[in-house]
Amino acid sequence: MQTNLRPRRPAAPPSPGGDERAARRRAERRARWLWRIAGYVFFVGLWQFTSSFLVADFIVPPPAVILTEMWDIIASGQVWVHFGATLRTIAIGFAIAFVLGSATGLLMGRSRWWEAFLSDWVMATLTTPGLIFALVTAMIFGLGPTGPIVAVVVTSFSYVTVNVVEGVKAVPRDLTDMARSFGRGPAQILRHVYLPFLAPYFFTATRYGFSIAWKIATLAEVIVGTAGIGFMMRQQFQQFSMRGFLAWVLLFFAFALFLERVVLQRRMRHVLRWRPEVAR
Amino acid sequence: MATIKVTDLRKEFVTDTSTVVAIENVSFEVGGHEFVSVVGPSGCGKSTLLNILSGIESATRGTVDITEGDRQAKLGYVFQSARLLPWRSVIDNLLFVQSTRGPQVRARCERYLDMVQLAHTARQYPGQLSGGMQQRVGIARAFSIEPDLLLMDEPFSHLDAITARSLRRELHAMWQETRKTVLFVTHDVSEAVELSTRIIMLARGGRLVADLPVELPFPRDPASDAVALARADLLRRFESLDLLAT
Repeated sequence: MQTNLRPRRPAAPPSPGGDERAARRRAERRARWLWRIAGYVFFVGLWQFTSSFLVADFIVPPPAVILTEMWDIIASGQVWVHFGATLRTIAIGFAIAFVLGSATGLLMGRSRWWEAFLSDWVMATLTTPGLIFALVTAMIFGLGPTGPIVAVVVTSFSYVTVNVVEGVKAVPRDLTDMARSFGRGPAQILRHVYLPFLAPYFFTATRYGFSIAWKIATLAEVIVGTAGIGFMMRQQFQQFSMRGFLAWVLLFFAFALFLERVVLQRRMRHVLRWRPEVAR
Repeated sequence: MATIKVTDLRKEFVTDTSTVVAIENVSFEVGGHEFVSVVGPSGCGKSTLLNILSGIESATRGTVDITEGDRQAKLGYVFQSARLLPWRSVIDNLLFVQSTRGPQVRARCERYLDMVQLAHTARQYPGQLSGGMQQRVGIARAFSIEPDLLLMDEPFSHLDAITARSLRRELHAMWQETRKTVLFVTHDVSEAVELSTRIIMLARGGRLVADLPVELPFPRDPASDAVALARADLLRRFESLDLLAT
């Protein structure tokens, strides 16, 4: 075959409005941060006001007292022991739920027979209050880590499944037809068309599933845990120590926020960098 | 050179309430360095015909043989919209459809991107390109597998007139250079006259009503008298054949 190539066209010059757009984006990002900080200032201020003027401070201790308590928990090393226990429960439970939910979602999204077979059961687990699973698993597995793990699996699984089903149904047929017309096999279509298309759905499933997993793991630990954040909250509750209770709640909140903002959102931005709205 | 042999082809689409015949008893052969346009009104089964040839859809009846010598011919497909994977860069879209990997394959993909004058966009994502550029990537992708037969389904119909004209020129040059067999679906008679060596006409209901050679020398200037006369002649034939009747 001839290779009579045309001269290479020079790279397109940067657009003149590029700097202006970048500056606008930077200003927007700065404004968003300012609003976020303002939100924190407002709610911490409201908390301080409530504990100073509205409610006795042993019921709602002021923020500075809770911060000191949080620091004490961190300095004593207790935070690592109990966060470690809760994280282990969530990691094992959510990993199982994610694999099971993704496989079930793919199956249901691609086959109406499997969808008919499974959809009511998935819906049942989705709509059943998590407390029921926490209690049932507590009765079946008793004290120890197995009950909370199973409770996390059962509750998070349906969130993953429902999102993946929706994603699979939305995969553009144009793209799968294109891949087939070029002779790509089912495994290549799954890997290069389905999975990248499903990435945003996986992220949504992870965010929702993970937040549910946190809640259920903590709830199950409150009921039957022998270690973990939920277990520590129960202890503080039994001693009627609002200080200790709120310190654990806030540590939990800070860690969940760290996972969402630093781990999940960054990962999502990297995986979805091809989307113009993410690339911005 | 690839050879297409379509015999007694029929395609029905069955809905809950009715059966729609998209293609009815179509038979034709294409072979060698031919550029064959399939023209006809909307809904006459042109795209369905290409989908059957490419294996995306199956025929209700009839046979399709696409061969290159004594083996199955390799097909490249250019769609109405570019159908690029938005999460892969331009070069990765071309690499996705290759059956082998390696530096030579990559170099080949880069060469075809260069042929459509988009070598500088290799690392960009499709969302960063205009519609015309995306369609050129689609053309480069189809050529990059070095197919024996190129199927093109109204590839310029979504583009503005200037971009479409420039892409028609590029396509003609690439066809001359690579000497592929091309089956080109269009509803634009002028486009068919400008590019083709032969024109197949389909009517509503998917009937093949005419198969005509276009005996004009290349390059064909769409504004020339010869092309205008050929176009007018074809349009008269279309009218006399009553293409819209089912």
